Amino acid sequence: MAASKGKNQSSLALHKVIMVGSGGVGKSALTLQFMYDEFVEDYEPTKADSYRKKVVLDGEEVQIDILDTAGQEDYAAIRDNYFRSGEGFLLVFSITEHESFTATAEFREQILRVKAEEDKIPLLVVGNKSDLEERRQVPVEEARSKAEEWGVQYVETSAKTRANVDKVFFDLMREIRAKKMSENKDKNGKKSGKNKKSFKERCCLL
Amino acid sequence: MTAIKHALQRDIFTPNDERLLSIVNVCKAGKKKRNCFLCATVTTERPVQVNVVKVKKSDKGDFYKRQTAWALRDLAVVDAKDAVKENPEFDLHFDKVYKWVASSAVEKNTFISCIWKLNQRYLRKKIDFINENPEFDLHFDKVYKWVASSAVEKNTFISCIWKLNQRYLRKKIDFINVSSQLLEESVPSGENQSVAGGDEEAVDEYQELNAREEQDIEIMMEGCEYAIANAEAFAEKLSRELQVLDGANIQSIMASEKQVNILMKLLDEALKEVDQIEIKLSSYEEMLQSVKEQMDQISESNHLIHLSYTNNVKLQSEIEFLVNHMDLAKGHIKALQEGDLTSSRGIEACTNAADALLQCMNVALRPGHDMLHAVKQQQQRFSDLREQFARRLASHLNSVFVQQGHDQSSTLAQHSVELTLPNHHPFHRDLLRYAKLMEWLKNTDYGKYEGLTKNYMDYLSRLYEREIKDFFEVAKIKMTGTTKEGKKFGLHGSSGKLTGSTSSLNKLSVQSSGNRRSQSSSLLDMGNMSASDLDVADRTKFDKIFEQVLSELEPLCLAEQDFISKFFKLQQHQNISGTTTNETEEIDGGNLSRSYISGVPQTISSEKDMIRQMMTKIFRCIEPELNNLIALGDKIDSFNSLYMLVKMSHHVWTAQNVDPASFLSTTLGNVLVTVKRNFDKCISNQMKQMDEVKISKKSKVGILPFVAEFEEFAALAESIFKNAERRGDLDKAYIKLIRAVFISVEKVANESQKTPRDVVMMENFHHIFATLSRLKISCLEAEKKEAKLKYTEHLQSYVVYSLGQPLEKLNHFFEGVEARVAQGIREEEVSYQLAFNKQELRKVIKEYPGKEVKKGLDNLYKKVDKHLCEEENLLQVVWHSMQDEFIRQYKHFEGLIARCYPGSGITMEFTIQDILDYCSSIAQSH
Repeated sequence: MAASKGKNQSSLALHKVIMVGSGGVGKSALTLQFMYDEFVEDYEPTKADSYRKKVVLDGEEVQIDILDTAGQEDYAAIRDNYFRSGEGFLLVFSITEHESFTATAEFREQILRVKAEEDKIPLLVVGNKSDLEERRQVPVEEARSKAEEWGVQYVETSAKTRANVDKVFFDLMREIRAKKMSENKDKNGKKSGKNKKSFKERCCLL
Repeated sequence: MTAIKHALQRDIFTPNDERLLSIVNVCKAGKKKRNCFLCATVTTERPVQVNVVKVKKSDKGDFYKRQTAWALRDLAVVDAKDAVKENPEFDLHFDKVYKWVASSAVEKNTFISCIWKLNQRYLRKKIDFINENPEFDLHFDKVYKWVASSAVEKNTFISCIWKLNQRYLRKKIDFINVSSQLLEESVPSGENQSVAGGDEEAVDEYQELNAREEQDIEIMMEGCEYAIANAEAFAEKLSRELQVLDGANIQSIMASEKQVNILMKLLDEALKEVDQIEIKLSSYEEMLQSVKEQMDQISESNHLIHLSYTNNVKLQSEIEFLVNHMDLAKGHIKALQEGDLTSSRGIEACTNAADALLQCMNVALRPGHDMLHAVKQQQQRFSDLREQFARRLASHLNSVFVQQGHDQSSTLAQHSVELTLPNHHPFHRDLLRYAKLMEWLKNTDYGKYEGLTKNYMDYLSRLYEREIKDFFEVAKIKMTGTTKEGKKFGLHGSSGKLTGSTSSLNKLSVQSSGNRRSQSSSLLDMGNMSASDLDVADRTKFDKIFEQVLSELEPLCLAEQDFISKFFKLQQHQNISGTTTNETEEIDGGNLSRSYISGVPQTISSEKDMIRQMMTKIFRCIEPELNNLIALGDKIDSFNSLYMLVKMSHHVWTAQNVDPASFLSTTLGNVLVTVKRNFDKCISNQMKQMDEVKISKKSKVGILPFVAEFEEFAALAESIFKNAERRGDLDKAYIKLIRAVFISVEKVANESQKTPRDVVMMENFHHIFATLSRLKISCLEAEKKEAKLKYTEHLQSYVVYSLGQPLEKLNHFFEGVEARVAQGIREEEVSYQLAFNKQELRKVIKEYPGKEVKKGLDNLYKKVDKHLCEEENLLQVVWHSMQDEFIRQYKHFEGLIARCYPGSGITMEFTIQDILDYCSSIAQSH
């Protein structure tokens, strides 16, 4: 795996982003809008799908892997594996549905649990469907104070109008990149510690 | 008439005791002889009888004979025949109809009116008076129109008015359309009455005696007081006076006889005078006759003089015409003979002279003019001059051509570094000065003109061939040079096979990297990313060079064509045809047909043909050179065909827009065919490569190289064909390619050994789907959906297939159970089957304690990880599905146990929570 990976992405950095959130909040819509500039009206629950795109991040060409996940699942543990594989997370809820906002806390806890060994996980709280202002249930202040509490950024988006769609992905990638760089520095400082993870990191950058 | 009346009264009627009142001279209708008289008579004895008597006058002497008599009471109708016009005919209807013609209309009227009066007086019987005109107008303050009950009544009334006027007013009243007889006759009759006294008729006329007449009579009677007392004396006196008057009358008649004699004499004298005047007149006439003869002679001679004058004028105008038109100025002759053909002034002088000469020679001579010796001589002189000048001009121009050819080639060296073609503009400008002379030459000496044309083509084609060859040489060097640079960057030099630099680069990259892996196809596409980036740079550069070549060639051709048409005078109606074709062009769009050229008149098309032929000769090297260049481009990279196709199409399109029949558009059109062929070859090559692709048996398959190549091709093609005219070609190619890709993926999937078929299908179709979603190629929408379908299908079948393994025996067991149920065994009774009793179930379940299951899942995860390639990043997706599926299976088993082995208390050795824990731990360990 490591070898093939090294061959593959020879020079391009790869950032793995996971879309997290309750069902129907617009994770797939955000992803498709970001990937293909299209907005699909009809709702069809996602199981899981993976996307890859080359983008230019602050002048540097990188690749982004997006894992779009299912919102409705009977067993949270099933998510463990892909949470594990992610490097950054878009924690999405719909501003028109308060429950979906409440659910973000659970998702966050699971992410923290699964990636317990990492200090700070790149994560953005995303309030989607900002075009449906008249049906808003989650006040901006509430979402923002929650995000502040967690020490992360809060952004409102609309997959329909493409408002802030690029921003959330790019901001997240920047956080991921910053984290990777600081870890590299750490690694250079003290080579001991999490062998497996540093191995993985190096592979990515080959 | 009165005499006749008198005679008739005396001879016929008096003896018969009848009194004649009115008489009319008639003849029977249709007969000429007027010897009958119709008489209206009354009997003198009472009761009064009124008769109409026809009296015939015997042929010899004044002898009258009473013929027929009718009683008035037998008269039924009096028909006057015509109410409007006066005519003498009238009918009397007695026992039968008698038609009469009176000697005059007046007589007729009088007679009829008499009859009417008689009828009025004696009979009061209804007699129809037909066709008499009873209408009359009275003009007082205005015109009153009346219609009387009969014409006689009208006449009576009118005559009464007249009489009244005569008697009392003597005023002028116009009696229009009233017969004069009617008016005049009534006068004497009135006097007669008064004289005749107690006559029967006087009673009739008595009404007409009015107050004044009475007065007159009274005055007269008072004049002789004794009148009443002594009537006799009065009568005597009256007769005496009458005699005196008669005497006076006779005397005056006698006295007038003398006067008559004098008058007769005067008349005789007048006749003599007339004779004299006639004699004089005839003598004058004779004199006039002679004068006329003289005049005739004079006018004839005048005519002759005029004729000779006009002849002279005509002759003069003819001579003037000849002299004016056939005289060539000395300056012109000199210019033609030795004018300077190098300086622009000299050329102008020559042009003018040539024009003048041509005019002189082309004078429309009237028949007969050429018989004149002087004209012949002059013509001979002109044609000599023409010969001479044509020769001089031709040789001069020839030398100019040669000179220009040399000049141009000497400057050629400067251009060799840059990719530009030398400019012929100054050369054209110089030569265009001669354009008029060329036209002259064309019109006068076509042989020389043709010779010049041929020479021009020879020199120029050689010159252009050199230039164009050099130009293409530079272009080729630039093309190959850039690609070499590109290759130097990536790897080492030498260009690869014809299959295109991408694959050759890939192969080289494998060699140079010296990787332990063998040269496998999966590696080809790994190099792709970096290689294609380089290619894009190369290709845009190639695109630029190619574009430059075309855009250099185009103005060169156009300028030359323009020059040729101007210089050799082949341009007459070009702009007209140009506009018409433009219009059709817009309708046709990209579909360039040439059929509409046939619509242009023959002469123009022949001139266009001429231009095209010349252009073809002059630029004969363009087409092969372009084809060489294209072949080279294709050799460097087959994807260059895409660029070339788009560029070429565009240039052909614009060229044909300007003029579809021009040399440029036909040439470019021909080359376009080659380019299109290369494009097709490029597509078919790709398809062939797919067909021939072999995959390693040892390594995993991953994304197939041709799938990645298709992505690259499509991305490139989309960027090139963005707004191009040839979109249709590309769409066709797409469909062919994607079909081939689909087929090849399935083929490889079926052949694959290391990697399961489902994985190959799933990963590749996922990739194709992503590609198509990204590029949004509208014509491949259906294929996009198909790819998505195939991807999900094979994902599912892969998951199901793979999950059979970790709980293999359990799976088998429950499959068996389900089979029994399907055969009709009730679920509760399955446990009584030997192979599926509780014992067996326990045995199978025992084989899968939690630890085993965890191990199985672990292995499965590793295997999946091994099967899948990193690129498509489907591990998480697949694993997610597997977890789902596994839990679903577990629940399914539990359900079966609960239903088929109720109350047995048998459970699985592990719980869902266990499974979730296993999953979490697998997650943690990777």
